[in-house]
Amino acid sequence: MTSLLALSPLILVCATAIVVMLTIAWRRCYDLTATLTVIGLNLALAAQLLAWWQAPLDVTLLMTVDGLSIFGGVLILVATLACATLGHAYLEGARGPREEYYLLLLCAAAGGIALVSSRHLASLFFSLELLSMPLYGMLAYTYRERGALEAGVKYMVLSAAASAFLLFGMALLYARTGHLDFAGLGEALASAGSDGWLLAGMGMMLIGLGFKLSIVPFHLWTPDVYEGSPAPAATFLASASKVAVLIVLLRLLQSAPATQDAWFHSLLAVLAFVTMLAGNLLALMQQDLKRLLGYSSIAHFGYLLVALVINEGLAVETAGIYLVTYVLTTLGAFGVVTLLSSPYGGADASRLHHYRGLFWRRPYLTAVLTVMMLSLAGIPLTAGFIGKFYIVAVGVEASRWWLVGAVVAGSAIGLFYYLRVMVTLFLPEPGMQRRDATTDWAQRAGGVVVLALAALVVLLGVYPAPMIDWVRLMAAT
Amino acid sequence: MEIAFYLSAVVAVLATLGVVTGRHPVHALLYLIVSLIAVAMVFFALGAPFAGALEIIVYAGAIMVLFVFVVMMLNLGEAAAQQERAWLRLSTWLGPAILSGVLLLVLLVTLIGTDVGGRIEGETLTAKAVGTLLFGPYLIVVELAAMLLLAALVAASHLGRSEAHDESHAVRQVPSKRTADGRGRAASERSLGDDTSSEENSR
Repeated sequence: MTSLLALSPLILVCATAIVVMLTIAWRRCYDLTATLTVIGLNLALAAQLLAWWQAPLDVTLLMTVDGLSIFGGVLILVATLACATLGHAYLEGARGPREEYYLLLLCAAAGGIALVSSRHLASLFFSLELLSMPLYGMLAYTYRERGALEAGVKYMVLSAAASAFLLFGMALLYARTGHLDFAGLGEALASAGSDGWLLAGMGMMLIGLGFKLSIVPFHLWTPDVYEGSPAPAATFLASASKVAVLIVLLRLLQSAPATQDAWFHSLLAVLAFVTMLAGNLLALMQQDLKRLLGYSSIAHFGYLLVALVINEGLAVETAGIYLVTYVLTTLGAFGVVTLLSSPYGGADASRLHHYRGLFWRRPYLTAVLTVMMLSLAGIPLTAGFIGKFYIVAVGVEASRWWLVGAVVAGSAIGLFYYLRVMVTLFLPEPGMQRRDATTDWAQRAGGVVVLALAALVVLLGVYPAPMIDWVRLMAAT
Repeated sequence: MEIAFYLSAVVAVLATLGVVTGRHPVHALLYLIVSLIAVAMVFFALGAPFAGALEIIVYAGAIMVLFVFVVMMLNLGEAAAQQERAWLRLSTWLGPAILSGVLLLVLLVTLIGTDVGGRIEGETLTAKAVGTLLFGPYLIVVELAAMLLLAALVAASHLGRSEAHDESHAVRQVPSKRTADGRGRAASERSLGDDTSSEENSR
């Protein structure tokens, strides 16, 4: 019974998916489907409280419910709720079936929630696939766009290749150690010393997970997929999916002290360094807001890797705080893109010139986007600053000067392109406009979500104590 | 038994190479079936007859269905039959035949031969053991796999149906384009109206 209570968020999300599927089979009603989805997600969010009472608890040998998993689950559910709300406005004008979007969204959310609480390689692999498989469908959802279809196919092929690497890595580790659970694997790795097969296995697993996080040598898919896919799906990919994978990577690194092995450790540090610089440099000259956000997310995961590399002291707390600020900001930035592109009618408004002079038409929406850009750049008084401050603090404390230098250099480069977007918003308006938000955007659910996110980003930037307390509480158990 | 393991593994690798390098889907599928049967042999040699049987039933069986689909999608006619005859050369079927011959040899030797070097260590995994494991400690993975299949089905049905929908659009609009006068335009408008009404009906 306690196990069932501990897993209740996951069970509720899966049950909602099945209820939604049956409803679609019974009668196609767009609003009903969306409402059911949102109700189910909210119930699951409330059920995280039930799970919190049971934590920490190991459920069979596959899952564990602890602070980290509840933290990840809450972030994923919030991101999924935002994606559902934004998707509702976006898909309103779409031709063809629209209800399946929610079904795919729920399945992906279930995968994410299972992923953050898995403590066994089998459940890791299945949850990761459950997270990715619906994403193929979501990214190609508006199949009539060439870009969307390309994004879906590209993500599917590359993701399948990455999964193959991950699986092969797991097989090698299992062949050498005979363990599939993280704890046993960690012990076996610690006692095994350095062994070529083990290193190969760990490297292959890193490739698989690094692909999902778009760490630099495996980042090539990111800008294309972000650009081509429909905005709500890209939002989910950038927020919930990455949070889930990062948390499972964190858990993996924590439970396997052997990964403190010098070789593996310095490899991670080099990856973090390259990711920060390459992500920021590649974003410099982008003419497309979604591509720019894609490169910016690469850079942000470089910063997050710094916390994982150090993996001592405040590292877990830092990763948690950075994830919260990153998710809020990304949801807000993509939310504005979604609102400008909805209701769906052809390709998204993602070119930068679509945003030229936005201030003179939609001042509040511009304010939201400006806040998000400032937060992404890590300017004080926004939530992004708190996250970046923690990263730098942890780096300085561990005296990893190269990494701290890269964080600072990356932020400086980042400032340039974030400011470039902001300047575009305030330029005089050109003659013709292709896409615009609906006039009553602020009264609709999507607009309310975006405004609330902006308020939250500013609020947490000014008064971050509640967030820090919460993350500390979660990291402690 | 060790020799059976290694021979089957070599066959699997070679056959998979054949799949990757094959230029024609049907030929590639032939190699794929051999590869799957070889993997099943590997499972048998390792003492997991249940996994081996599943490999043959599910994969080789499912691949046969895929085979049929590919053949169905290819336009089969007199020309296709001729093409088929032209393709059926020694060089085409020799590769898969030799590889499956090796597998057959391995099977016969292990069936007839009395002791070919003993067996690989480890206990035999039966269907019952797999079942108790799957529905005991690994129950959550089974449930996750169920959700995964549901998600894959939904994604495939969404993307697949849309293609069929597009095709019906194209077919309906082609004749109206041919008549380039006002009547043609009216017809195309009507067909568009039909489309929207049929969409509304389907909703």
